[in-house]
Amino acid sequence: MSQQRIDCMYEACPIPLLKALKKLKTMKVGEVLIMETDHSCSITNVVEWAKKQGHEVDYVEISDGEWEIYIEKKQ
Amino acid sequence: MRLWKGLIKKPWPYLVGGIILAVLNIILFSVSGKPWRITTGFLYWGMGIIEKLGFDNTNWYYFSVYGNQLNEGETFFNNQYTILGLSVIAGALIAALLASEFKWKIIKNRRQLFFGLVGGLIMGYGSRLSFGCNIGSYFSAIPSFSLHGWVYGIFMFLGAWVGCKLLFKFLL
Amino acid sequence: MASSKIQELKKQRQLSNKRKKNQVIYGVVCIFIVVLIYLFLLKNNFIYSFIWKIGLLIGFTLQKSRFCFTASFRDPIMVGSTSILKAIIIAFIISTIGFAFIQYISTGGNFNIRIEDIPGQIDPVGVHTILGAILFGVGMVIAGGCASGTLMRIGEGFILQMVVLCGFIIGTLLGGNHFEFWDKLLIRNSPTIYIPHYIGFPLSVFLQIVVLIALYYVADWYDKKNNIMMTM
Repeated sequence: MSQQRIDCMYEACPIPLLKALKKLKTMKVGEVLIMETDHSCSITNVVEWAKKQGHEVDYVEISDGEWEIYIEKKQ
Repeated sequence: MRLWKGLIKKPWPYLVGGIILAVLNIILFSVSGKPWRITTGFLYWGMGIIEKLGFDNTNWYYFSVYGNQLNEGETFFNNQYTILGLSVIAGALIAALLASEFKWKIIKNRRQLFFGLVGGLIMGYGSRLSFGCNIGSYFSAIPSFSLHGWVYGIFMFLGAWVGCKLLFKFLL
Repeated sequence: MASSKIQELKKQRQLSNKRKKNQVIYGVVCIFIVVLIYLFLLKNNFIYSFIWKIGLLIGFTLQKSRFCFTASFRDPIMVGSTSILKAIIIAFIISTIGFAFIQYISTGGNFNIRIEDIPGQIDPVGVHTILGAILFGVGMVIAGGCASGTLMRIGEGFILQMVVLCGFIIGTLLGGNHFEFWDKLLIRNSPTIYIPHYIGFPLSVFLQIVVLIALYYVADWYDKKNNIMMTM
């Protein structure tokens, strides 16, 4: 199982979303993108966007105000 | 415990936020006589600061027109914009702490700092030209049946589009 | 339900978690402090205490729902998503009805009075509105937050947004200082247009709500149609 990781700590909206977008374009179907972020908007913003694109997505809080978002590329 | 998780821990849907904000704005308007505004408060704080620094701020043209003068008994720090601005910060702080997601987020690099400062600067300047910010000239103006709210909203879109172009070019 | 790959990653991650601090206790301390401030204001100035209470609720709601006016303008352009914009349109419909009641009651149904006597945000419209709106639109996207978003994110601990606030204050000072120039050039010759003065009050309430509902459907259609992002 292959996975890619991007670090979006301390980035303000909308950079995390754009970074994820850029990265996902280079990835193969079935790979998982792991995204670290501390921007509270991302967990609604990015999750909603990824769902709309038809990807599998979930997130987990790893520390106070820090999250990891998992996006599995589906198409 | 489940209620706590649903209400405090998880983000609310946008629609719920929109409805609550609209109702709060109506209540604020009906009780205080003025709908929600923000940036005029920033100007007052700025005026208060330059007053403290020893500059003369008495004869500003701005405060002599369009009902911009302070109300009786108000000062640049003691007015309802200050109360409203500080309470919004405090409310957000409480929400973040109760969800255990408060974190000091440092500035990542000089570019971020530069764009933040410039962005704030032109927002502040723009808000004086158009009698308010996205709240005073948009969120509170359109329901007041003033045409300038609609014009403001349409052209804010144009500005946001230009901003997106800049963002792709310099920040990504 | 997320896929099995994601479930597994999540499980692994949760095992290796650093122990989270619980911040609820700090939250309770903050609530205690704001209640003290509320009581202090209540004793001195009822209106201030009321505004304090409403502001706290506004801040809480903004943070909880991640309500971001910047995103409502930016996301349709950048990723074709209009979910926040739709929420704002719904908010407009509700507040249009509420504001209409307030204006109707406070004017006693007689709208042929001076515009200054009608409560609400009614200001001159013209080229200065357009300039200000464009400047504001550019600024909020590159700074990552509008006026309300900046305040809300300061509460969340963004140091960047404090810089934005400093920029904001300097910007309003400059704008206020140059106001005479703009007033003589543009604002003085611009009309203040209160829509009910032109088409009557009931019709303007009705029309505004119809237009907002139409905009909602346009936004919904746009969201479904646009699944791609702006070309970089």
